[in-house]
Amino acid sequence: MKLKTVLLAAVAATALAGAARADVLIGTAGPTSNAEALFGTTWQNGMDLAVRQANAAGGVQGQKLQLVREDDGGDPKQGTLIAQKQCDNKEMLAVVANFNSGVTIPSSDVYNRCGLPQVTNASNPKVTKAGYKNLFRPIANDLAQGAAPAEYALEKLHAKTAAVVHDKQAFGQGVAEVFRDTFTKGGGKVTSFSGVAQTDVDFSALLTTIRSENPDVIYFGGVMPAVGLFVKQAREFGLKGTFFGADSAFTPDFIQGAGAASAGAIVSFQAPPYDSSDALKTFAADYKKAFGEEPGPYSAYGYVEASIIIEAMKKAPLPLTREGIVAEIAKSDFESVVGHVAFQPNGELKQPFIFLYQVKDNGFSLVK
Amino acid sequence: MSAKKPWCTRVTSDAKTTHIPWLGAAVLLLLPVAVLILGQFLPTYPLRVLDMILLYAILGLGLNIVVGYAGLLDLGFVAFYAIGAYSWALLASGQFDIHLPFWLVLIIGAGLAGIAGILLGIPVLRLRGDYLAIVTLGFGEIIRVLMNNLDGLTNGPQGIARIDEAHLFGWTLSTPLDFLYLLVGLLIIAFLFVWRIEGSALGTALSAVREDQDAARGCGIDTTRVKLVAFCTSAMIGGAGGVVFAAMQRFVSPESFTFWESLVIVLVIVVGGLGNPFGAILGATLLILIPEMLRAWADYRLLLYGIALVLIILSRPRGLLPRAYGPSWLMRRLGGGR
Amino acid sequence: MGSVILQQTINALTVGSIYALIALGYTMVYGVLRLINFAHSELFTAGAFIGLGLAGALGVSGHPFAGVLVGVITFVIVGLIGVSVEIVAYRPLRGTSRLAPMLSALGMAVVIQNAVMLIAGRRPLIYPSFLPNGVVEIFGAIVTYKQITIFAVAVILMVGLELFVNRTNLGVRIRAVAENAETASLVGINPNTAISLIFFIGPGLGAVAGILYSSFYGVASFTMGFVIGMKAFTAAILGGIGSIPGAVLGGFLLGAIETFATAWMPVLTGGLIGTEYRDIFAFSVLVLILLFRPAGLLGEHVSEETMVYKSDF
Repeated sequence: MKLKTVLLAAVAATALAGAARADVLIGTAGPTSNAEALFGTTWQNGMDLAVRQANAAGGVQGQKLQLVREDDGGDPKQGTLIAQKQCDNKEMLAVVANFNSGVTIPSSDVYNRCGLPQVTNASNPKVTKAGYKNLFRPIANDLAQGAAPAEYALEKLHAKTAAVVHDKQAFGQGVAEVFRDTFTKGGGKVTSFSGVAQTDVDFSALLTTIRSENPDVIYFGGVMPAVGLFVKQAREFGLKGTFFGADSAFTPDFIQGAGAASAGAIVSFQAPPYDSSDALKTFAADYKKAFGEEPGPYSAYGYVEASIIIEAMKKAPLPLTREGIVAEIAKSDFESVVGHVAFQPNGELKQPFIFLYQVKDNGFSLVK
Repeated sequence: MSAKKPWCTRVTSDAKTTHIPWLGAAVLLLLPVAVLILGQFLPTYPLRVLDMILLYAILGLGLNIVVGYAGLLDLGFVAFYAIGAYSWALLASGQFDIHLPFWLVLIIGAGLAGIAGILLGIPVLRLRGDYLAIVTLGFGEIIRVLMNNLDGLTNGPQGIARIDEAHLFGWTLSTPLDFLYLLVGLLIIAFLFVWRIEGSALGTALSAVREDQDAARGCGIDTTRVKLVAFCTSAMIGGAGGVVFAAMQRFVSPESFTFWESLVIVLVIVVGGLGNPFGAILGATLLILIPEMLRAWADYRLLLYGIALVLIILSRPRGLLPRAYGPSWLMRRLGGGR
Repeated sequence: MGSVILQQTINALTVGSIYALIALGYTMVYGVLRLINFAHSELFTAGAFIGLGLAGALGVSGHPFAGVLVGVITFVIVGLIGVSVEIVAYRPLRGTSRLAPMLSALGMAVVIQNAVMLIAGRRPLIYPSFLPNGVVEIFGAIVTYKQITIFAVAVILMVGLELFVNRTNLGVRIRAVAENAETASLVGINPNTAISLIFFIGPGLGAVAGILYSSFYGVASFTMGFVIGMKAFTAAILGGIGSIPGAVLGGFLLGAIETFATAWMPVLTGGLIGTEYRDIFAFSVLVLILLFRPAGLLGEHVSEETMVYKSDF
């Protein structure tokens, strides 16, 4: 009996000592090696910045944080393997994963099974359908993303016709369908709804067809660099309609890539531009100092997603546990650099932020 | 097959020995048992990796029939794998609210893939060499683009989520350990099946086609039929693998079935050793394990992966386990016969 | 309607020129070694990035003459990379098995792509145009100077290659080795010289295609090679692999098929088959052509013997 107590105490002491010594690990998985490598890497850099700042401020409840980055290559199979690896790592208390909806859906099964708090950047509405309590999405989903520009086109621009193009990927097609449905419901006419391949760079054939339809509005559901090329070629072909794009067009690359053609284009994004508030200006400056380059389109989101976890860790009871952090994330209620963060019971934001920007004088200006 | 054999003799299996090679059989049996025992002690992540290795070993065994035995390069194998995966996704999910049992879909998936193999085979098998490779490549891409575009059937790029859990005769397959049992079982079946083919008249015909198609035809072998059978059986194994993959992930989307996956499976058998069932298993082990072990290298991971591939192929161009060192060889060595 | 057809034809010729230039690299290597050189598409990408780096280093950009200079230097650099890749990764495997070099090429493709990523970064780079700006209108169709330049450069290079192969001493050696390496070595031609030459010219042309491509579309990313490489390879097969005029014809044909399929498939089928089926269409045409002309459009009618590789695997 006595021996048992001693043993238990020893085990408890080692465990405590271990907890005090070891860093608290936060995991992340996103594409850092394929066509989306830029998004994935700059997104993870944003998290890295949040972790570094938290450590500089003394860590969380006396413990240092460490970000463990993984590359899922945008591949669902690798996503589940990494999820399991992170689950098995007992020191890992939360993850920011994944970047793609197609990876998040299967990986969330794995994360759910081990109760690891998961904050995702995937915008497909289906992601939260499983009703997992440990899954949170602090960004607007595709429904909001596609609807806002359609409403704007109908109400503000009084557009009657629209040509809709998408890249046949989960995100691009998702938002394009929402745009089409919202636009049609509002009385507009969609002249054509076409898919292109994600890797396409030449849209001349499609644009020649669209030119003959002469639409008021052209909506492109897809990601950079395709969206930049599309706008550029559209203008070269003399298309006059107002161009609308989805979030990933919200980058300086878009304006540079499309050149003068981008002027007047309207882009929807979940975050305000990096120069729109003091908090974001500071963020962009810090980012540049840390990584030597401008932040990518999702850097601010990576930063916010990691911050959500860090904020929750600050409040969670010691010793930190996965369950404790899940409970605290669910109670999140703070002002992040992009907007107010508070979750519904299904893990979606209470008030998803979506902004529309217009390209003016080589910069983005807020229109809505 | 040694060159000394007179043309067109009826060659019987090399493996056929008059007595049962007990020792060989025991060694062969020991392997899966060892894997299962190992599975009891492994943490979940290595278990999942082990599952992936077994899955790719099964796919490698399937592709080996066409590439290793018949000598036809198939660069679109992922198409059959996709057909199997989508069979489970469509026949056991809320997509059309059909919920068939796992064993049935395993048969259906393998069957559909087999039919696709025959349908592809009939027109293309008269092509030779690399033209066949290119047409199969095109077929693989066509299947993937169809999966991506037939939104009404496959949900397009969004994929099919919330697929049923697999049940097999009252046993629920949910943890990686459950799948380890299933995959070890399937691997044994596929292994014995492939090995049987190797030693059968069909196997002899296949190697005849591989070595010299015209001579084979001259010996009365219906080369087209032999190739069709090879294509069909190989596709069936690929389809079965796809069903298991979908049951494991419980989510399918076209991004899992790219041309790269076809290439990985070809790599599995070439690195391991063409025409050798052990080779497929060893190749799968290396090709799944190396990228996982390189994770610590972060940015340099794929660069090192590429270098490792080139080095392995340069050092062993005929694979780590060449054709001659297959299970029959093991049996002979251990069985003491011949 | 006429102007639309003309416009689409011009679009097709631009895309086709680039496919054809890349296809040449595949077809030359295949013709001699029967090897699908998977690394070729990544050398195309490397060419675009090296061109960009050179333009920065030399302080020239945006000028057509600077473009010629950059193009020539890039051709040489990438050509030399191509030669070294062959010596390191393919030559030791010659005569072992046919699949081994192909998969070694695949490994090299992964290596080159990731090397480009590590050196140039993941961010798609905005590419300065080396091509003249401006447009002309011909019968209602808009033709940019860029399109004209791309077509012209491609034609000059292709005619030059054809003359080189058919009219020069070195060209004769290449053809001899392509025909039969063993016989060629009997008459005193060193196959290695010819093969190195092929691995110099093919990737060099691919690199020029990379510069043209990135200049035209204004962007270069480290992953751009894979898809375009696969299409160029399809073009090479379409025309008859191993045949230089075949690769050119295949390139233009594939460009035309893609362009017109995108433009008219949705119209002809009443929207049933959309533009997203373009790739299926291209591959289906390939399959059909191979079924009726198993050696491709301009492929030589070789006897079945030479197409069968006995116990190669």
